[in-house]
Amino acid sequence: MLSEFSTIEGRSPGYWMLIGISALVLAIGMGAFLAIEIHGHGITGMNNQVVWGMPHVFAITLLVMASGALNLGSMSTVFATIQFKQFTRFSAFLAIVLLIGGLTVLLLDLGRPDRMLLPMLYMNFRSMFTWNVFLYSGFLILCVLYLWSMFEYKQYTKVVGSTAFAWRVILTTGTGSIFGVIHARDVFYSAITGPMFVAVSLTSGTALSTLLLVSTYRRTGRVMDEKLVFGLRNASIFFTLLVGYIFVVEKFTKFYSPAFYDVEWWLLTGPWSGLYWFGVWGCCVIFPLAILFNSRMGNTVSGVMAAAGITVVGAFAFVAHVLLAGQSYPFDMFPGYQTSSVFLDGQDAVYTPALIEFALGFGGIALSAILFLLGIKFFRLLPAKAVAPKDWDLPWSP
Amino acid sequence: MTMDRRSVLGLGGILTVGAVLAPGLRLVAAPENAAEGTTEASEKRRWGMLINTQQCNPACTACTQACRAENNVPIVGDPQRDIHWIRKVDLHDRSGRNPDRSLPVLCNHCEHPPCVHVCPTQASFVRKDGIVLVDMHRCIGCRYCMIACPYKARSLVYAKPSEHGSVNPNVPIRAKGVVEKCTFCVHRVDQGGEPACVEACRKDGGGGMLFGDLNDPKSEISVRIREVRTSTIRPDLGLKPAVHYQGIGEG
Repeated sequence: MLSEFSTIEGRSPGYWMLIGISALVLAIGMGAFLAIEIHGHGITGMNNQVVWGMPHVFAITLLVMASGALNLGSMSTVFATIQFKQFTRFSAFLAIVLLIGGLTVLLLDLGRPDRMLLPMLYMNFRSMFTWNVFLYSGFLILCVLYLWSMFEYKQYTKVVGSTAFAWRVILTTGTGSIFGVIHARDVFYSAITGPMFVAVSLTSGTALSTLLLVSTYRRTGRVMDEKLVFGLRNASIFFTLLVGYIFVVEKFTKFYSPAFYDVEWWLLTGPWSGLYWFGVWGCCVIFPLAILFNSRMGNTVSGVMAAAGITVVGAFAFVAHVLLAGQSYPFDMFPGYQTSSVFLDGQDAVYTPALIEFALGFGGIALSAILFLLGIKFFRLLPAKAVAPKDWDLPWSP
Repeated sequence: MTMDRRSVLGLGGILTVGAVLAPGLRLVAAPENAAEGTTEASEKRRWGMLINTQQCNPACTACTQACRAENNVPIVGDPQRDIHWIRKVDLHDRSGRNPDRSLPVLCNHCEHPPCVHVCPTQASFVRKDGIVLVDMHRCIGCRYCMIACPYKARSLVYAKPSEHGSVNPNVPIRAKGVVEKCTFCVHRVDQGGEPACVEACRKDGGGGMLFGDLNDPKSEISVRIREVRTSTIRPDLGLKPAVHYQGIGEG
């Protein structure tokens, strides 16, 4: 099973069309970056109330999914789930390309991207951003070493893969903590924000891996045992239930304190409530579970694919909700007082994303896509035939 | 020369490690922050402000206008993106027990400033005398400080500043893409003066703003803070702001 790794041919019109479309989107993204660089963030929808807009949503979602993309590798290397061992190379490579795409968008959305190396020169170890510089670059190194060990030095795979697993948990906790440690923001501030990001990385990373694996095998006319897809389905169910559990605990804890009544009620019923109910609860938890637990849809590859697609959308919705709702809720600087000013104190912030922000964000996705497409063409990342071990059977089906 | 794929992967790994470690090595040799060494600030002082809201007229904007003129703070014409180093905030007590108030809000120059804590490049820093400043040459425009500040005291420069002109040659114009904020008019303070807003309030406003050294027990501001009931904004955050208010929440 493990000796048949091969590259895809990558000569079909479909393959080159995908490369071409991705290159076009990447070019548009680069154009968007140049336009923002020349004219400033004034041409985006961001303002002095909502300072992190759609580029951050895209970037952070890609980074969260990069961490989650390592799921398949970790399941095999750390937890000895042998049926997924054949996907460990793919898993590490996907993590790398998503990380590169996300970091690129994040860096290009800086107000002064020409100074992007300064965080390496002047470090503030109290800043979560500085921690994340180390966490992201360390994760990149570990994924490259993990991949390298799988190709050439298999005796190190266990130790590198286990380190990468621990690192990714810390990494995504660090990403969530960018928001969770901010005491001034009622929506962000919570010890559970970090673990919540970890949970969403588990679902979205597994979902994206499922989508890409099934699509790659289908498009290249190769065989992928359906049992493997259903194995991923079962993992997704477990991860999705974990996400739902953390969402409930977070809301329960905050609603228990009268100090958070206003902000929590605003989140459930205010201007961002549609995104919360449909995007966060619907796409992250309810819709995927409804499909995956359904005895008809949950037992088809298409059903699992649909749930995976919704989960990926849910990850975007989750990050968008944390970021945008979190920034839109007005500061309560004078409790008990109604405030107003020319700087819009006391008002919900208004943010309408500009097309150019989507162009930059999709540019990051396109960069990841191109790297992925080139990767599966030039590196032996996937087995020619993905089959389940003979003595392995699904423990459960809906 | 041809390379097999394993070599390419290996080389990629080495380059990645190098790219990540190289800046760190540079860091070891990097000089200390020169700005700290050349400042005239003394840690014996802790500059602060006391604002008596009872003397603040809701219609008066002397402090905000003086700040704009002194510090070349432009009005870009978009309320969402206008830059405010100091702004007037109107308060209405929901319970009706306290009178309506109007007061200026500016950077609180906290002893434990969250903006400084989160700044990845140490562009935001606290001077020895407690004034929180931004090194405009080191700010990368990540806006994390704006996320962390509970006083909404920081603004991103969204447009090219040259479009709005300048007035005071003593205060440098900030480039687009960086974050700016109140400096307590540090250029005046270092010359023995006081912030423009305080001066304007005394001359053209109600005279409710007082600037001074909080570390000097004999200074007027220290005496007043000891003698009258004052408060700070969001004391629950533990930031120890240097801007104190008189006349809020007494009901």
